[in-house]
Amino acid sequence: MSSLVGFLSLVFAIGINFYLFLSRYIFKFQKQKFNLFIRFSSLLTLLSFFSLMYAYVVSDFSNYNVFQNSHSNKPLIYKISGTWGNHEGSMLLWLSILSIFSFFFSFTKNIDERFQRLTLIIQSLLHILFGLFIVFTSNPFLVNSILVNEGLGLNPILQDPGLAVHPPILYGGYVGYSIVFSIAIAGLFQNTDDEWLYVAKKWSLISWTFLTGGIALGSYWAYYELGWGGWWFWDPVENISLMPWIAGLALVHSLMMVRGEQAIKKWIVFLSILCFSLSVFGTFLVRSGILTSVHSFAADASRGIFILLIFFIVTGFGFLVFLLKEPKKSNSLNLLFINKVSALVINNILMIIATLTILLGTIYPIIIEVLYNKRISVGGPYFNSTVIPIMIPGFLLMSIAPILSWQTNKINNSKKYVLAFIILSVLVLIQSYFLDFNTWGFVGLLLGFWIILASIIAIFSSYKIKINIKFFKKINPHVAHIGVGIAIIGITCSSVFQNELDFNLNEGDKFDVNGKTVLFEEIETTNQINFQSLRGKFLFDIEKNQSKEIEAGKNYYPVSKMITSEAGILHQWNKDIYFILGDQKNNEWFVKVLINPFVSFIWLGVIIMIYSGLIAVTRR
Amino acid sequence: MNRIIILTPLIILLIICIFSLTYLLSGKDPNKPPSALLNKNVPSFESTSLYDTKEKIRTTDIKNKKTLINFFASWCSPCKIEHPLFFEIGKKYPELYLLGFNHKDSNSDAKKYLEDDGNPYDFVGVDADGLIALEFGVFGLPETYLINEEGKIIFKFMGPITKDVLKNEIEPLL
Repeated sequence: MSSLVGFLSLVFAIGINFYLFLSRYIFKFQKQKFNLFIRFSSLLTLLSFFSLMYAYVVSDFSNYNVFQNSHSNKPLIYKISGTWGNHEGSMLLWLSILSIFSFFFSFTKNIDERFQRLTLIIQSLLHILFGLFIVFTSNPFLVNSILVNEGLGLNPILQDPGLAVHPPILYGGYVGYSIVFSIAIAGLFQNTDDEWLYVAKKWSLISWTFLTGGIALGSYWAYYELGWGGWWFWDPVENISLMPWIAGLALVHSLMMVRGEQAIKKWIVFLSILCFSLSVFGTFLVRSGILTSVHSFAADASRGIFILLIFFIVTGFGFLVFLLKEPKKSNSLNLLFINKVSALVINNILMIIATLTILLGTIYPIIIEVLYNKRISVGGPYFNSTVIPIMIPGFLLMSIAPILSWQTNKINNSKKYVLAFIILSVLVLIQSYFLDFNTWGFVGLLLGFWIILASIIAIFSSYKIKINIKFFKKINPHVAHIGVGIAIIGITCSSVFQNELDFNLNEGDKFDVNGKTVLFEEIETTNQINFQSLRGKFLFDIEKNQSKEIEAGKNYYPVSKMITSEAGILHQWNKDIYFILGDQKNNEWFVKVLINPFVSFIWLGVIIMIYSGLIAVTRR
Repeated sequence: MNRIIILTPLIILLIICIFSLTYLLSGKDPNKPPSALLNKNVPSFESTSLYDTKEKIRTTDIKNKKTLINFFASWCSPCKIEHPLFFEIGKKYPELYLLGFNHKDSNSDAKKYLEDDGNPYDFVGVDADGLIALEFGVFGLPETYLINEEGKIIFKFMGPITKDVLKNEIEPLL
């Protein structure tokens, strides 16, 4: 029953969007009626999504999708997240989020009516494309042809609270760029005043903030669930999310800096199209099964071709409009040796080169396999040695960019900055000398501290310190950059100064980690609702009274016959101690202990960036 | 010049789409990578006959003759499906050397299997511990390799071969 409701409302929603699209040419509407229709179709799409969720919650195995991906023993939260833990459901989530964005956009006030309508029509077009994709190749409402009492379970690696919310938030970012795309295209067509730039800024900030949160959640999940002790692996799926993130960052900066310059406006349109294209391309790569990872649920060529077609149409259309229509002529670029505009241009060039470098590395294996029938993989070494050096000048510049002048080359208090930089370099050099010197460690620490220090100097010397909302809005760019600085320190320390210790242990053994004695208490196996767990229990720092217990182990999911590893992590403010329980051999357990310094700084930095994103949305 | 710069995104788009489409249409499965051994020398191996432990076969023995190597086992049901095709190949190409490797199997089960379904192979080598399969990069049974006179692997197929594969992919190489 819920399947029928879901399917019909989905088809009906697509129908309404088709009608709205035609309305541009055939039927004429009043603004109010048009907006009502948009909202109605959004609600129908959501109804469709919630009917699927309902089928998951009540374990309605007459729905084939539920039967394939759920199990009645699963805890409620994973039944709910099971809705998007599979290809069909996740595409429906994609469409629902698209609808939500259209829904809220239809409420935007104080913008040109024709412009708003055109934007929504482009959204309708996207809704139709992706809606048809779902109906024809990925229908989540198929009826199960056999009568069954039990489902086949969900990929157990996805049974994790962090991952339950990761896809909706990440999609909020990916799909959010659809509205930015539509706004940019509508802006080109209408060619009205610069009003659309302000609208686009708000929406691109929202999308970017979502994307940041989604990527961070995914990384955090990889950190404690995959049990490799790292949080970023340059996996193709990670790269796919990083590309629109960097392009989106360039877009946000351009939108904040634009003062009616023709060249930058053009560039903004280009970036808007690029961000959404990269999102759709990412969806294509993951959903077509071209890439194998935890994200690819099933390989199906027809789906791949369909999304590739959508990608081609959307991107081709976008760039074609970009080619044929030009933003209205206005101010020219005020480029100096070092002012805000030149800093912006450098920043944009670097970000685009970084994005293209990642793109090349990601699709290179596909090109090689088509040409030479050889399987290669492009991984960490390529990306680390290309993307990071490309970004370094940008990091150097970002610390002072917000206080640069528009009109002149002059930097206020420039002596202060030079002095601060020299002192900092010496300090970091001394610090590196006493620890093992490592070039990347030195560069990373210097950059991170430099960004933080320069931002703080800028805040204190350029603004009057007042504790009120207005002040926080004013210093927001600096705060965002401090977040980046903190994250860079975390990234540098946790990757360059990571320490790995291996042990072969019996229960009851004591061993030494970082000068603290650790007791390997026992191995415990328990039966949980939908899995069996094996846990090694460790007591950290037993000489002290407040010794901490750490559990590391594995889960076995009998329904899908899969084993997942569960790392045991002791979080301290300056380091994570990361326990991985390996296999048992000759009655001894293999235990790996990783000491990851300053990992918490990465998450702290990301949280600050998200905070800044939210503050910037409210700032005009 | 300006035109070319503006056209670049479209050109890149086209290139990406063409490669992706070719990839999708070629029916490649990312879970089944192409063999790294294709066009390389056949890995060196040494194996004893299923029927006579004194009789041995080495890489040098298949020099100067076209050889079809097939990894099979009695416990592998897809192997049963392709099995009759080897009789056809053997009949049609008598000069082709058919070498079967019995993979991780018990000798008695293998003998019974070849008794029941017939033995199309010129030689049946034992690969009880799967080390030879490891050298060949075997993913799962059955797998079939074609070696040319120079001792290079010119064809590899994963899964049971079919009439179509035989006609369209193997026969042109024979």
